[in-house]
Amino acid sequence: MKTNTSALHSIKHSLIPSVIVDKDIQIVEWSETLLHFFKLEKDLVLKELSELLADIADASKNQIALSENFTETIPVINRNGQERWIKVNAYPFCDKGEFFQISFDDVTFDKNQFDLAQQAKRMAKVGSWTVDLVNDKLFWSNMTKTIHEVSNDFIPDLEKGINFYKEGKHRDLIIKLVAECIESGKSFDEELIIVTAKGNEKWVRAIGNADRTNNKTIGLRGIFQDIDSVKRQQIEYERVNKRLRIAIDSANVGVWDFDIIHNNLIWDDKMYELYDVNKKDFNGVYDLWESTIHPEDKERAAFEVEQAINGKKELNTEFRIIKQDGSIAHIHAEAEVFWNKKGAPYRMIGANMDVTRMKRKDERLRHLLNVTEKQNQRLLNFTNIVSHNLRSNSSNISMLSGMLKTNLSADKQREFIEMIQTSSSNLDETIVHLNETIKIQATDGREIHQTPVKECIENVIESINALVIESSAKITIKIDESLKVNAIKPYLGSVFLNLLTNSIKYHNPKKQLKIMVTAKVLQNQTIISFSDNGIGIDLKKHGLKMFQMYKTFHNNKDAKGIGLFITKNHMEAMNGKIEVQSEPNQGSTFHLYFMNNSKKLR
Amino acid sequence: MTTNKIFLVDDDLIFRKAATVLLGQELSEFDVEHFENGLEVYNELIELAEASEKLPQLILLDINMPVMNGWELLEELKSAPHQIRQQCQIYILTSSIAPEDMNLSKTYEFINGYITKPLTSEDLKRIAENLA
Repeated sequence: MKTNTSALHSIKHSLIPSVIVDKDIQIVEWSETLLHFFKLEKDLVLKELSELLADIADASKNQIALSENFTETIPVINRNGQERWIKVNAYPFCDKGEFFQISFDDVTFDKNQFDLAQQAKRMAKVGSWTVDLVNDKLFWSNMTKTIHEVSNDFIPDLEKGINFYKEGKHRDLIIKLVAECIESGKSFDEELIIVTAKGNEKWVRAIGNADRTNNKTIGLRGIFQDIDSVKRQQIEYERVNKRLRIAIDSANVGVWDFDIIHNNLIWDDKMYELYDVNKKDFNGVYDLWESTIHPEDKERAAFEVEQAINGKKELNTEFRIIKQDGSIAHIHAEAEVFWNKKGAPYRMIGANMDVTRMKRKDERLRHLLNVTEKQNQRLLNFTNIVSHNLRSNSSNISMLSGMLKTNLSADKQREFIEMIQTSSSNLDETIVHLNETIKIQATDGREIHQTPVKECIENVIESINALVIESSAKITIKIDESLKVNAIKPYLGSVFLNLLTNSIKYHNPKKQLKIMVTAKVLQNQTIISFSDNGIGIDLKKHGLKMFQMYKTFHNNKDAKGIGLFITKNHMEAMNGKIEVQSEPNQGSTFHLYFMNNSKKLR
Repeated sequence: MTTNKIFLVDDDLIFRKAATVLLGQELSEFDVEHFENGLEVYNELIELAEASEKLPQLILLDINMPVMNGWELLEELKSAPHQIRQQCQIYILTSSIAPEDMNLSKTYEFINGYITKPLTSEDLKRIAENLA
């Protein structure tokens, strides 16, 4: 037989790796690219196809012998151990079927991709199904069978398939969906529960599409996916989320979400409720926040938010807001900042809680604690007095009376008896002082009333008129007739009396005594100041003891060390306080602070 | 040497009078000088320290006094001429029975004793033994 050798030679330079074989499957020619493709030496003489592909099936050879085209993908192990997938295409080279050209293509990459896709399908537990309505056949892929937990030789039909769906709403729904799909070609995609052959309940995703010709559904095909774990996680997440939501709602917690990059703040409905504002009335939520926050807290709170964004300090703070009706609420705020991989903050989520009621309780508790502490202090003073003043007088009496028994002169005896009398009257006086101290109880505010100041001072001056005239003191009262302070009237009188008599007692003998009483009304408190030009006191030395019981500071025989102690107690019982400024030989000024709105001084 | 002097420091006149009579009975060889507070006795002691033989042998010191109390005086004496601390026997004589006061007195090395009122002749006899 004649051979067109030039034609055979033409493949020598073919870019596609290929060989030409004769009818006996003996290689007669090959392309140069083939040597490179199979990594063969250049001067090699090829004869048998099996030199190239050891595993090429005899069947393939037979096909070539029968002059048939064929395509096969064959795995080949390289000399260096690598696996390659080679697609072999064989077709007759010339019309007479004398020679065949076989070309090779490396499809390793495609094959791997395909495997990966298969694997992904297995991992994702995606199966498929088709229904041939004409022949009434249902086909399930292996994965679909695995999901149903049936063996691979299970033969499904439409009825069996549908009966896997859980009785009740799941089965009813799939019946309806399939019927619609058959009737009108409407696709479906639904998450449903099946009960597998082994009796397990499973969430699946069923997707179905209709095959239609001439407006008639001839078949259905679809995808069947096991979504059980995802679905259950989702259900659990929703359940937890719902529980959290209930917790947040009942705890009166508002949640906000701040997009730092776009400067966009979102509030949930609870936040609007907490801040007592209408959602529609504001354009920007941040402006709204700023507008409601108490002016005294604004700078600090904004600074703390900034610090949180900069990662310096977590946000966990409290501030006050002013509601529309003017009332003040205390807000507790906590937040978390989210940073991107570069460490830049991009989002901040926080929670706000109205802690006003807690705060009030806390304040009341603190107030009670304060009262208790003061009572304790008074008790301590009381025991100090028991220890000192009572004992000093009683020990004098016992010492003197004991000595009366010894042989003393009649004069001395008389003197001792007089001293015993003095001691016992001192004892009596001490007990009176103690009584006064005990009487000043902490008030709960009910006894505190608006009391006119000037009238009260004038009454006090009137009551000690003789003393004032004797001291030739010049008293100036620069107080408006109408001024009133929150006070307990008898205490207020007692305070004024004490300060006035102190000024007279400790006047500078070289100067005319001048006393000035003034008042200053501030927003929260009224301050009444008592100034004199008396001998004053060295506060560096005595400042701390100034208002303690039985502390005296001058060599004055009249000094008892009780007046300022009682004055301080009176002021505190009226929720006020007393302060002193003084310089030796310059005079003293006492400032009396009264609260204007029956709240505690801090 | 020191003189036969006792400094009685107390703001309570009645106590001073009664104590003086008692001291006259038990320590008759001594002269008793009265001081009403810590500052008065401090000024006197500082003056006497220059001629140390004039310092008193015994100081009876009350705690609760105006102007300068007993503790304040003791603090001042810490940095005063050492003759005062060495030559004078100092007894605290107080109506306070508070343990704090008693403990505080122990922190001063130059204090010889702590006596609670009323002062008795037994107290003075004990002091006399130490003076001899």
